[in-house]
Amino acid sequence: MSPAERSELLQGTLELLVLKTLSLEPMHGWGISQRIQQMSSDVFQVPQGSLYPALVRMKQRGWIRSEWRITEHNRRARYYLLTAAGERQLKSERGAWDRSSAAVNRVLGWQGGLA
Amino acid sequence: MSIWSEVLERMRSLVQRRREERELADEVAFHLMMETQKNEAAGLSAQEARRVARLRLGGEEQVKQDVRRQRGFLWLDHAVRDVEHAWRTMVRGPVVAVVVILSLGVGIGVNTAIFSWIQAVVFRPLPGVRAANGFYFIEPRSVAEAAQGSGGHGGALRSTRVMDPGNYVGVSWLEYNDLRERLSAIRDAVAFRAAVLNVGAAESARRTYAQLVSGNFFLELELKPAGGRFFLPEEVAAGSSAPVVVISHGFWQTQLGGSASAVGSILRVNDRELTIVGIAPRNFQGTVLALDFDLWVPATLAPTLLGSRELAERRARDYAMLARLRAGTTAAQAQAELNTAMKELAQRYPATNANVQADLLSFWQAPRGPQKFLARALVVLQSVLLLLLVAVCANTANLVLARASARQREIAVRQALGASRARIIALLLTENLLMAVLGALLGAGIAAWGTNALRDVPFIDAFPIRFQTDLDGISLLFAMMLGLLCGLAAGIAPALQLARGDRQLALRTSTRSIERSRMRGKLMAVEVAVALVVLMAAGLFLQSFGETRDTDPGFQRKGVLLAAYDFSERESSALSAREFMAALLERLRAQAGVQSAAIARSVPLDIHGLPVRSFTLEGHARADAAPDLALRNTVTPGYFQTMGIPILTGQDFADLSDVTSAPQVIVNQEFVREYLGAGEPLGRRIRTDGQSYQIVAVVRNSLYDSFGERPKPIIYYSLRDRPAGGGEIHLRTVVGSELALAASVRGIVRTLDPSIVLYDVRTLEQHVDKNLFLRRVPARMFVVLGPLLLVLAAIGIYAVVAFAVSRRTAEIGLRLAVGASPREVVLQIMRETLRVVSYGALAGWLVAFLVYIHVAVGRPLDPRILFGVPALLLSVASIACWIPARRAARIDPTIALNSD
Repeated sequence: MSPAERSELLQGTLELLVLKTLSLEPMHGWGISQRIQQMSSDVFQVPQGSLYPALVRMKQRGWIRSEWRITEHNRRARYYLLTAAGERQLKSERGAWDRSSAAVNRVLGWQGGLA
Repeated sequence: MSIWSEVLERMRSLVQRRREERELADEVAFHLMMETQKNEAAGLSAQEARRVARLRLGGEEQVKQDVRRQRGFLWLDHAVRDVEHAWRTMVRGPVVAVVVILSLGVGIGVNTAIFSWIQAVVFRPLPGVRAANGFYFIEPRSVAEAAQGSGGHGGALRSTRVMDPGNYVGVSWLEYNDLRERLSAIRDAVAFRAAVLNVGAAESARRTYAQLVSGNFFLELELKPAGGRFFLPEEVAAGSSAPVVVISHGFWQTQLGGSASAVGSILRVNDRELTIVGIAPRNFQGTVLALDFDLWVPATLAPTLLGSRELAERRARDYAMLARLRAGTTAAQAQAELNTAMKELAQRYPATNANVQADLLSFWQAPRGPQKFLARALVVLQSVLLLLLVAVCANTANLVLARASARQREIAVRQALGASRARIIALLLTENLLMAVLGALLGAGIAAWGTNALRDVPFIDAFPIRFQTDLDGISLLFAMMLGLLCGLAAGIAPALQLARGDRQLALRTSTRSIERSRMRGKLMAVEVAVALVVLMAAGLFLQSFGETRDTDPGFQRKGVLLAAYDFSERESSALSAREFMAALLERLRAQAGVQSAAIARSVPLDIHGLPVRSFTLEGHARADAAPDLALRNTVTPGYFQTMGIPILTGQDFADLSDVTSAPQVIVNQEFVREYLGAGEPLGRRIRTDGQSYQIVAVVRNSLYDSFGERPKPIIYYSLRDRPAGGGEIHLRTVVGSELALAASVRGIVRTLDPSIVLYDVRTLEQHVDKNLFLRRVPARMFVVLGPLLLVLAAIGIYAVVAFAVSRRTAEIGLRLAVGASPREVVLQIMRETLRVVSYGALAGWLVAFLVYIHVAVGRPLDPRILFGVPALLLSVASIACWIPARRAARIDPTIALNSD
């Protein structure tokens, strides 16, 4: 299995999580992976190898942009920022996610019968 | 988000690749650092923390690669990087790169130069004519001899004779018109023949090369006049009262000063007034390859201008016929029609056409003239040069292999870091291709120079030769293709071998490998073999050229002055032709310094050839009623003495003033052999043109049309019996003082008749040289190529030895340290190298020898070529080997032992 395929499995979800993370504050790649892990209470182990290609992909689509900043520990790091297009994308993906997860929940919560 | 902005973003990142590459590295490094710190904080040792961090990321290179793949068009990205890397490698080892680029450049350059010539000769044979390749020659072929033997016209017979120039007899004007009517598979055909016309007033006439052409000539060639117009139908009708001429662009510029009023003005040609109706396009130079004609005159003017009966004479096969196929028809169809038409003509005109067939030949297959010579020579040359390029490729492969062996470790490291085999091969190939492309660029430059240099080779002055060869897009494409092919050919083997290599082994061991040095040895041997074959071929070529120069033509070419005169067009002359000749010869013979003098209608080894005419031999009945054919020349008594052709039996022609003797002919040995057999030749009678002639002498064979021809039968007629108003004066004098006689000859002619122009004054030797001029082109090329090849072989050997020695520095140091003398070291290196070189030389020599005995049948083997060339090559090889070996032997042992 090639690396590209491996990242493909999580692609949609990973992108949504990254968008969400960046909507809170600009963050560098390592920070994004840590933040997702924290926010999901360690449920999601972000596949770090897939993160960077995903960032590039999202950048190419214009959802995020990047700039070099100095971290609180006085180190240079590439920070990613959400663009306006990224915010729209987050909203629409979020809506889609909510609808589909609600639907999945309803399917899972189904007790039988034809109400 | 449109696809375009995404593409744009990708392109941008491609452009800023270098910066992004750095940033990516920083980003990944930052990530690893943070992850490592986190792991350390969790209690792991520094080393372990780092390892786990890496593990989680999934490998730095892997991530980078994934990002790159996402970011750009990966292959393009790779390609750019490979080229950069290749450039850096090249710059780091400039000597190898320079050698490779130079040798490839030279190899590609000479090939491209010849290719551009082949293109001009084969693909664009008619400058200025767009559809030149569509044209076919329609060439009648006499099959009298073949029919005698088998009685049939079998296909096998034809195919074996098809390239025999002796049998192509030319087209007569009437035949041209007959065929034009009968062939529906071709578009209208054109006919033309060369003629030399005198332009200007009689006293200052200039000899000008002209083509007598059919009326549709310009129309069918689809030419557009540079000024004026071409012929009108009424102007080309026989007996037209409005004689016209079309002039070349060059003639217009040089002779008429490019005057705007040139069209419509009168040009005096052979004492007739012709109206200039048009100017041919600038590029157009006529329909004979390389010859530059200045005038085009309707053939229907031939009787007026030349007083010739060629328009009504089926025996006068002086024309060539060119035709294009009609759309939708094939050459095979046209040939079938041609066969039918020729059969019909044979039945209708048995006297002239009984055993004449015809072939449809592509322009480059022209059975005579410059096309034939040049096309063949160029094809031979191109094959030799491609062989040379193979040698260069072997050379390059060798150098690349030598250098790449040194990089085995680098490659192993790359492989260990996860580079795929394909990537490694691509990387190595890129280096070769980069060098090959640079070589091709250099080659294109050399070709541009070479093409022009060859074109400017000074041929005979006063002979209108013009080559319009140019380095065009196709030639450049050819150069590039050669370059890429060379790059691949020279690179693929080493690249495969290296990529296949065992990386574990390579990482651990030193770089020397026996297998690889064997491969290098093989390539070196191949190179030497090829170089030897080409060198020996060059030697053969030069030898045959030299032989041609030294061949005994059967007459003595030194010490003869030639001068032409022609008053045949004039209706009234103070003297009859016979009286004029007698008076002229009498005065010439009285001239101091003249040993003998004669007049002849034709000079042998003329670029236009001697006419072939039919005759019947009395008492020699032919089964098939086919005419016997022989060359014809018409001469005065004293001709054989002047030319130095021995009369074997019988006596020279009767004196011009003799009115009692019967008409006489003299034949050559070949004539006797072919037509008379063992019978007594003297006294036999020949009939031709309704007249009977008696054979009075047999002379020795000599050359008539070209060097290397088989002996041909010839009949010499006497100008006493067939007087003519034009001829070539032949004067024998002391060798070296020929041209000193020119002034007195002019004076003598002037006193006889001031209106007669003497032209084309030259020595017989100069005349013969004209015939050789086309052979000079390839001979000249070989003179240049031979040394070049030697240098290439030397460079190859030098580079290989130098490299091998440098790889063995430690070993040599050790030998020196344990007491070997530098001399012994040098000898050992040379022994090893020269052994391989000798294997190659032996193989090449065997091939060359086989070719040689095949080509040079019946000729003495020339030891200079058989042994001298290999000896030369081996000495050069020894020097090329000795220089780096000696340098190696001077190494300071302590330095040597510490290296590697």
